[in-house]
Amino acid sequence: MIQRHQRIVFWCLVVCILGMGVLLAVGRQRGRERIAALADDDQTPLDAPTAMAETVTLELANDADGSIAPASRQIALPEEPNARARALIDHLVAEYALPGSAHALPPGAAVAEVFLVPLPLVGYTTDSTSSATKDGGFRPTVPVGQTDPDPVQPKQLGGELAVIDLHSTFVNQHPSGVEVESLTLRSILGTLHANLPQIEQVRFLVDGQARETLAGHSDLLRTYPAADTTSGAGAANERQSN
Amino acid sequence: MIVLDPAHGGVDSGSQISETTVEKNVTLALAFRLRSLLTARGFSVVMTREEDASAVPNAAGSALTLDDRAGIANHAHAAACLVLHATRSGNGVHLYRSELEASEGQASLVPWLTAQAAWIPQSQHLESQMAAAFSRSGVGLVASTASVRPIDSLTCPALVVELAPSGDDADSINDTDYQQKVALALAGALVFWQNQVQPPARLSPPAIVAVGQATTSDAAGVQP
Repeated sequence: MIQRHQRIVFWCLVVCILGMGVLLAVGRQRGRERIAALADDDQTPLDAPTAMAETVTLELANDADGSIAPASRQIALPEEPNARARALIDHLVAEYALPGSAHALPPGAAVAEVFLVPLPLVGYTTDSTSSATKDGGFRPTVPVGQTDPDPVQPKQLGGELAVIDLHSTFVNQHPSGVEVESLTLRSILGTLHANLPQIEQVRFLVDGQARETLAGHSDLLRTYPAADTTSGAGAANERQSN
Repeated sequence: MIVLDPAHGGVDSGSQISETTVEKNVTLALAFRLRSLLTARGFSVVMTREEDASAVPNAAGSALTLDDRAGIANHAHAAACLVLHATRSGNGVHLYRSELEASEGQASLVPWLTAQAAWIPQSQHLESQMAAAFSRSGVGLVASTASVRPIDSLTCPALVVELAPSGDDADSINDTDYQQKVALALAGALVFWQNQVQPPARLSPPAIVAVGQATTSDAAGVQP
């Protein structure tokens, strides 16, 4: 005959075991959902920078006077150029997400990926010479740069086109207006130019697709020149106030 | 002739300026105000929309695209084209011209996406006159360049005029005195401007001589 207090202890242990099992299952499910959410947002973390922190120049916008001014920051950046460009833009946008920013932007990852493409851009076609046919009847592709009448040419040898793929979550939350959108683009262009001078031209995509405007105003379909966009550069920007 | 393009309209509300104000209504209100002042000064004014949602002529139900707006402006052969926008960021007026590099003249065949290039010097001149007018009227001004469609496709001296609040309160953008002050500065600048506008030089078309047709082209008087 099992004594009463032993039965109570036994059932208490059973309840504890079942409770822990349920907690474990719930915790596991939450972990899975968190990982799935991260995958959906494509917030893949950048490669951990292996280099020491270095001085970079961020060209920071100011909504109050429509100006862009350079600012130095100590940041550890990846060595690989594509990741380096992405990290630069992420740091720039993170700066704008700080409280009291002069050009307030929503927090969160802005860039899904940056692709650096060597210039000139050339198209490819199949080699039509009869001797080029490979086994199975396939023909290799050959560049058509020499026959393209209007290729996108570099200004200097080694010039590159940066294709910046923005997250739609960032674009959809971006403030709307000619000035605020233009400042964001100019800030990105100037920061890339200051730190990665081989980038000569920039194109923007949103979730891998071409999009007409950033938030209803600034054109995202054109190719932008990467250049010094600070307010003192050229005659592009001037301020007059009463 | 002056073309006013109150940006946005219909389902495209533009930016949310305050809880009760959207951009499309501010641009239309400013356009009506400016049209009255310009008409009183003897200008003919063409507006790309006069109601919330403008439709393509002879195609009821089709919303006006940005290219349609550029088409209306280009057919008007206007002395100036003003694309009106509004925003809650910054203060005063933001004035933008196209980011295109100026071309030497207007080619016989004008690319749609860079048609403004031939008019850049004129647009710069208009911008400096407007900047002076705003300075005189005491309205804060930021002048710069921007790539905002459809300005690159316009064949007239063209500027984007973005109205921002006069102070910290976003709703101050609806203040009638403030809008009137801005409209008066714009109208005053356009009065000075009307006698200075000069169309760009027309570039002669490049000769296209196909192999085997050189004799025919020469006979037709095609100059290289």
